[in-house]
Amino acid sequence: MTQDTCTDVVVVGAGPAGMTTASCLAESGVRALLLDEHTAPGGQVYRSVEKVTDKRPADLNVLGSHYRSGSKAVERLHSSGAQYWPGTSVWEISAAEEPALAVGVVRDGRARMIQAGHIVLATGAMERPTPFPGWTLPGVMTVGAAQTLLKSSGLVPEGRIAVAGSGPLLYLYISQLIKAGKKPQVILDTRPRASLQTKLSVLAALTVDPASMFRGLGWMREVRREIRVRERVHRLRASGVEKLSSISYESCDRQFTDEVDLLLVHDGVIPNTWLAMSAGCRHHWNVQQRCWVPDITGAGQTSRQSVSVVGDAAGIIGADASVLHGEAVACEVAACLEGKQPGVVGNAAHPLLAWQHRTLRRCLDQFYPPAQEFELPPDDETVVCRCEEVTAGEIRRVAALGCVGPNQGKAFTRCGMGPCMGRKCGVTVSRLIAEHHGLSMHEVGHYRIRPPVKPINVGQLADLETDADAHTD
Amino acid sequence: MYRRRDPISDSIIIWFCDRRIEAAADDSVAAALLAASISCFGRTAVSGAPRAPFCMIGNCFDCLVEIDGETNLQACLVTVREGMRIRPHPGNGFGDNGEKGEA
Amino acid sequence: MNHLDIAVIGGGLLGSAFAYGLSTDGGRVGLIDEGDHAIRTARGNFGLVWVQGKGLGMPDYARWSLRSAYAWTPFSEELQAQTGTLVEYHRPGGFYVSIDDTEFADNVARLKQLRDEAGDEGYDYEVVERAALCEQLPGIGPDVPGATYCPHDGHANPLKLLRALQEAFRLNGGTYTPSSRVTTIRPVNGGGFEILCEGGREFGCEKLVIAAGHGSAELGKSLGMEIPIFPVQGQVVVTERAQMTMTYPTNYVRQTDDGNYLLGPSARDVGFNDETETTTLRDITRRCTTAFPHLRRLRIQRTWAALRIMTPDGFPVYLQSEAYPEAFSFSCHSGVTLAAVHATDVSRWVLDGHIPSQYRCFHPERFDVPA
Repeated sequence: MTQDTCTDVVVVGAGPAGMTTASCLAESGVRALLLDEHTAPGGQVYRSVEKVTDKRPADLNVLGSHYRSGSKAVERLHSSGAQYWPGTSVWEISAAEEPALAVGVVRDGRARMIQAGHIVLATGAMERPTPFPGWTLPGVMTVGAAQTLLKSSGLVPEGRIAVAGSGPLLYLYISQLIKAGKKPQVILDTRPRASLQTKLSVLAALTVDPASMFRGLGWMREVRREIRVRERVHRLRASGVEKLSSISYESCDRQFTDEVDLLLVHDGVIPNTWLAMSAGCRHHWNVQQRCWVPDITGAGQTSRQSVSVVGDAAGIIGADASVLHGEAVACEVAACLEGKQPGVVGNAAHPLLAWQHRTLRRCLDQFYPPAQEFELPPDDETVVCRCEEVTAGEIRRVAALGCVGPNQGKAFTRCGMGPCMGRKCGVTVSRLIAEHHGLSMHEVGHYRIRPPVKPINVGQLADLETDADAHTD
Repeated sequence: MYRRRDPISDSIIIWFCDRRIEAAADDSVAAALLAASISCFGRTAVSGAPRAPFCMIGNCFDCLVEIDGETNLQACLVTVREGMRIRPHPGNGFGDNGEKGEA
Repeated sequence: MNHLDIAVIGGGLLGSAFAYGLSTDGGRVGLIDEGDHAIRTARGNFGLVWVQGKGLGMPDYARWSLRSAYAWTPFSEELQAQTGTLVEYHRPGGFYVSIDDTEFADNVARLKQLRDEAGDEGYDYEVVERAALCEQLPGIGPDVPGATYCPHDGHANPLKLLRALQEAFRLNGGTYTPSSRVTTIRPVNGGGFEILCEGGREFGCEKLVIAAGHGSAELGKSLGMEIPIFPVQGQVVVTERAQMTMTYPTNYVRQTDDGNYLLGPSARDVGFNDETETTTLRDITRRCTTAFPHLRRLRIQRTWAALRIMTPDGFPVYLQSEAYPEAFSFSCHSGVTLAAVHATDVSRWVLDGHIPSQYRCFHPERFDVPA
């Protein structure tokens, strides 16, 4: 076994949580290996921050001070002594029943196994699926996708643009776009009329974390001043031949049709749980955030002894809280490796800040509820599984046949059997089945996630060498 | 669909099928193709419907391409290289190059 | 309490086939099933409808498989006509490919022994050297010494089969009740049974068929049926879709109508562990790429592991309770191959109330299990 196929801790994901966890571990003398599929650190929130700082500093003004602050975590990573492998994707974590804990990766086109004492999953968040008729057309993308293009390549959308959905990221991106010299034609706000509870939660968050709230409300105000907003949007539909050419929707009892070249959608973010689920970690449905979240004890310990999760992957907390969480989880993991009980200090790091973040998060969840029609697409023709092109109607049909869970639904319709493995359809499929049978999401459950969680070819797996081979070759 | 804010300072040439494209040296393949107004990266296996990148963070797999003969690469995760030849991923039923499945 | 004429416990490939077959007779048939997150062996099936090589030591099993292979044609056509779901059954014949000389020699010897035991009786096979394989199996690997071909072999889509069986069952008036794991079966004085499920649901029935996969052993015990079954794990690698080039199914690899390749087989003795394991998956890909090197380029779409319901000799266990003759239990690991005879012959046995003596060979008494 060579030196570089074995380490104390493997951390997956180089966003703020992963970078901080790896840095913290390395600084305390633990051998930490940080893996990330991108070619540079930063995750999504700080995507390409090194490159932008170096080569396109003018863009820092567009992207904002919060983005700029991402350099801190990157600098810490580089000076911490943690090993860092970019361009490395993780396709599996060995099953709990197997004797040795290992991570299967693909790097430079080759598959290999890395043995570790502990794994920390910092796989971050992904945008909540937003199915509606026509969402698979070229020309429909997520707001996050457009923001990634702005950060990583300085690209700005052309032509007539509509932005639909809700959430802080939506307003942040549009404010960045305005600074970059481009205004969308229209914003389609899918939120229902704000309830009293929502308004109260805003007040609560204002007192608890005024800085973040003012920043967020500032983006919204700025954006709404400059761009037409349609309220309480529903029945969104995208149309076009070969690519998007128009959208239609209802707003305040009126019907609209707009010609657009690009439709950006966003309906909040949810934890990227695929690797944790494939590792057999138990998850539960978080009713407030409307997403699957790993069962966690302590700072980040999952139901599987040698696997921890950190940052947004453990439940949406945002970039700043992810850094704090990274430090707490690093302490917990380090103690675990030494066979010690994690100290109270580790778990209770910065308790006031953590409480502030939680309260802010609750307010955001209240203020930006997921759109009802994206969760439960009313039109049977809406494609729910993008990869296998399975419609909402088809899912409803097999639910009526007796499917009480998404795995039977998968067996009967092929939904979830495509390359994305249910990332874009899993929540919707479970929702549709739950609705038909009057069950809770917890009772319905989620897809059984199996390896490979990221692409690997037959030949790459066939060529995989393990320790057993090393002795016979 | 997208334009560059600034002109390319370190340009390289890549190919998408027969199309010659100027890209920035640190672009992802997806960014380079979108900046060149490519709106169809491939077609679905089931119905042959056109697809382009949706999420840009490696989760939707609508950007799968073949690069220099290697298949199943997510264009949003791969950085361009001088002379790179990109084609739609053959398994998606788009202009299948017929190489698979034969001796 | 729900009253049924016949209750079938287990909604997998066996239970669904029995429920479907029984539902054509006009009585009230209920199919009682667990939920989404149970063992669900039916979801993990390669899809071969296979005759070749079966029945070493029990020629009756070879004959049973052959009978089912030919019943598959009308069986699948009726299902398709009734439900509109295509089960993708094809019988072009199948190849048992060997990846080295030892395997080849062993396979040929085994088939010869089978023929000697069973007599010809439509038991055909042909030894095919590598050179002659290239046309029927394009892309066959250079290290493959040869294969054996049997014209009775074929394949189908097991997931579509399960769906079609349940659809047809419902169309025939059957009732399917999921999320109802059976905890107790109580015989009723004067005949019939009470079935109690987790969560409180109850059923009453005149006749009972236990086809609950790994759950059958426990349920059968309460009615005096000893069912010797145990799990054998199998893993499969599924590739992305590709251009259709493999029209013949083989023991290692088959291509589905959707274009995916399925790569197998494997067998591990790991109890009720249904997690995949890296070296097993890797070894599957090694063997299959020795057989078909062109598979190397394909992306692995997904993998799975499932728990075969295995008996000590690998042959089915079919029995009727001696104390309660209205109760039957059927177990086997070839749920796809035998689906046709399960839906037709075996359902008939249940309706008639007894298993014909010629099928006594499948009774577990052959294992000297105490009554």
